[in-house]
Amino acid sequence: MDLYREEVMDHYEHPRNQGELVGDDVIYDHEVNASCGDSVQFYLRIVNGKIVEVKWTGVGCAITTASASKLSEYLQGQTLREIKDMSEEELAQKGIGFEVNPGRIKCLMLPIKVVKKILTHTSKI
Amino acid sequence: MFDPNVIRKDFPILSKLINDKKLVYLDSGATSQKPSQVIEAESNFYQKFNANVHRGAHALGDEATQMLESARQSVARFIGGKEKEIIFVRNTTEAINLVAYSWGMDNLKSGDVVISTIMEHHGNMVPWQQVCKKTGAKLELIKIDSEGKLDQSYFKEKLKLKPKLVAFTHVSNTLGTINPVKEMTKLAHKAGALVLIDGAQAVPHMKVNVTEIECDFYVFSGHKMLGPMGIGVLWGRQEILEKMSPFITGGGMINEVFEDHATWAELPDKFEAGTPNVAGAVGLASAIEYLEKLGMENVRKHDMEIVGYTLDKLCKVRNLAVLGPKDADIRSGSVAFEYKGVHAHDVATILDSEGVAVRSGHHCTMPLHKSLGLSASIRASFNVYTTKSDIDSLVKAIGKVKQVFGK
Repeated sequence: MDLYREEVMDHYEHPRNQGELVGDDVIYDHEVNASCGDSVQFYLRIVNGKIVEVKWTGVGCAITTASASKLSEYLQGQTLREIKDMSEEELAQKGIGFEVNPGRIKCLMLPIKVVKKILTHTSKI
Repeated sequence: MFDPNVIRKDFPILSKLINDKKLVYLDSGATSQKPSQVIEAESNFYQKFNANVHRGAHALGDEATQMLESARQSVARFIGGKEKEIIFVRNTTEAINLVAYSWGMDNLKSGDVVISTIMEHHGNMVPWQQVCKKTGAKLELIKIDSEGKLDQSYFKEKLKLKPKLVAFTHVSNTLGTINPVKEMTKLAHKAGALVLIDGAQAVPHMKVNVTEIECDFYVFSGHKMLGPMGIGVLWGRQEILEKMSPFITGGGMINEVFEDHATWAELPDKFEAGTPNVAGAVGLASAIEYLEKLGMENVRKHDMEIVGYTLDKLCKVRNLAVLGPKDADIRSGSVAFEYKGVHAHDVATILDSEGVAVRSGHHCTMPLHKSLGLSASIRASFNVYTTKSDIDSLVKAIGKVKQVFGK
């Protein structure tokens, strides 16, 4: 199956940057996929408006897990302003880089929704 | 002679290709496919009889009204109720909301108890949560036993709280369990409660007679029983419906309107405000006619056979755990399962690539899934056109999960 190609399966089986972050410089939030109850939480450590460390936790399918893993790698080093200025689709394209069929869009976009949600309530931009 | 291979010929969509493979439709619990007879009945209404009902002294309007009322007669005959007790709504959820907001808001108060169950579809849980929140009543949920049946001793214990209403499903949409509706209704009545039964997953598969069950409300949707989407039924006992206030108000449900108040029409109009889905009702009547021709005893026999065959096959697949009772005699309509180590959505995507359409997720039973320690499951669900060969295709496609995930 094309969707479950090597790169996706690699990130699913060996997810990068899993864990939690604590501290005053950490912003975080979580979001759920209403169709299955999967939830993802992202933690971003911010120094001068820049994301210097990313961790995430959650339960999810292969698509959500690979998506969160890839996004966590991409976010490192980006500024909050850059991420805020991107549309969800643009962030998915740049930060996740693989596509899914329409029925799985919610799985793919769950990590994006979390990060975008964090940006709605932070003053660290 | 009931032969699903012959029945299939009436369902145009079943010859469709999905991902270049023959569609194996195992999501009938979400919505059933529709036979040509139903599709044509609905289209025929618009082509030859379309006019608004209950108004206008013209022949076409009379014909449309007659078709709506004749559809009501079909439903009444099919479930053993009286015509004026049949209220057309959009779907099961709307029917339950009607009872929750009309009967519930007028009759529940702080300290009262409503009993429902952990196996309910959100449609028979969230409205009661809402009405309890508004009135101060308390919602108690009956647990299930290890087999996936309602815990009857727990139910009897909770009945001591003297509930005002007991609302539960006839057939669980996730576990497939058929609940002992008649016995439970009797016990609930003895405790002084009214009884509402969610029949969405029962009416498509077995003979249901509300007079025999002796419940007070029975609700179901047309689209799960070969009928169109957007038409559903609330059956209620006449003397109770008569005392209830209307849920939605406006045109069509009034007797007289004054500048500052109005009086209500008789049953069933009192609960059918606005222009009804007449074409949908006509389509539903056609679905009922189709099912009656097949014979509900035969429909149930086939249902049991397919459920039994699926249980048999799936129980032999490694890494797979079937939810609910293992006995087809007390199950209907569907078999849900967990594929250990692989998320339900991933399993469904792989099955879809083989043309096999199943439901994945929590099937609108989040509290039930949580109580089973699951976030999601996969559900194969059936109707009169489901064949054993469909189940063989399902099992074969499940084999592909191991190829992709190595589990």
